[in-house]
Amino acid sequence: MNLFKTKTTSSIIAEERLKLILVQDRSLLPPDKFEQMKEDIINIISNYFNINTADIIINIQRESRKTILEAIVPVLSVKRTTR
Amino acid sequence: MGRTIVVTAGKGGVGKTTVTANLGASLSKLGNKVVVVDMDIGLRNLDVVMGLENRVVYNIMDISDGKCKINQALVRDKRLPGLFLLPASQIHTKDDINIDKIVEIISTIENSFDYVLLDSPAGIEKGFESASAPAKEALIIVTPDVSAVRDADRVIGILENRGILAIALIVNRYDINLVNKKKMLNANSIVDILGLDLIGMIPEDKTVIDSTNRGELLINYANGSFAFKAFENISRRIEGEDIPFLNLNSQSKGIFGLFRRRR
Repeated sequence: MNLFKTKTTSSIIAEERLKLILVQDRSLLPPDKFEQMKEDIINIISNYFNINTADIIINIQRESRKTILEAIVPVLSVKRTTR
Repeated sequence: MGRTIVVTAGKGGVGKTTVTANLGASLSKLGNKVVVVDMDIGLRNLDVVMGLENRVVYNIMDISDGKCKINQALVRDKRLPGLFLLPASQIHTKDDINIDKIVEIISTIENSFDYVLLDSPAGIEKGFESASAPAKEALIIVTPDVSAVRDADRVIGILENRGILAIALIVNRYDINLVNKKKMLNANSIVDILGLDLIGMIPEDKTVIDSTNRGELLINYANGSFAFKAFENISRRIEGEDIPFLNLNSQSKGIFGLFRRRR
């Protein structure tokens, strides 16, 4: 414990919390846009790979300081046309 | 043609109705013809805040339903020439609102007024949608706390998506003593966080509650108060004047502050 540590005032805490909360809030896509993005991603990938669309997992994860878009796309094979 | 401005917030209880009423009064004092519209269908309150509850005959839903003409529903505030109220219905719910009709009514009213102030209900549902649909400009009301600022951010996003880009911020119930002690969010921080232009700060002021209790507007009841001065300045900034912000620090210095401020 640091006895000399000055106590952070609550307005500073409020400000920092708000900044964090808003970064997260602003990174949220409305459900219809999210579905649209999912479709767009699938379309692009299927130009190059044969994939099974039902196996694809796409989600947005929020950690304390960042938002991560995660996509798990099991690839069946490379598209013949691109080889 | 008049300017149609929605007064909104997201969060409830931050002072949308009080701001709408007193800003309407200040704008009319500057010589404008102003109508304040209660868009909180089913939970009307602008009439009581203004002390006009006994004079309400028709309301905006009656116009929408074709039961009366616009002029029949407008209530003139006899204390201020040029200030009118268009009340909300108390018996309908937000589901009964026909947004296209509301937009049509407001655009008709716009032609004979300088300002149309739309008092939005809390929330981001249909009530808010119908209050913001006719507007080209918005005033966002926040109190200096995390929940009000967060909700405001959400509302700003929705308004911008709808093409309303002229949005200004009013920080309400600002307590300069708490701000100085760093126990309340500073208005500048809120401006930074939300990325909007600040058009005014209204100090926490007991005359606001007192005048609302009586159904009086600050202009008639407490026109020496800091809150009134803040409204007056905001209305002049809306008119395009470049008015410096009030030095709220003189608020805590009592009457001497007032003298010094006037110079």
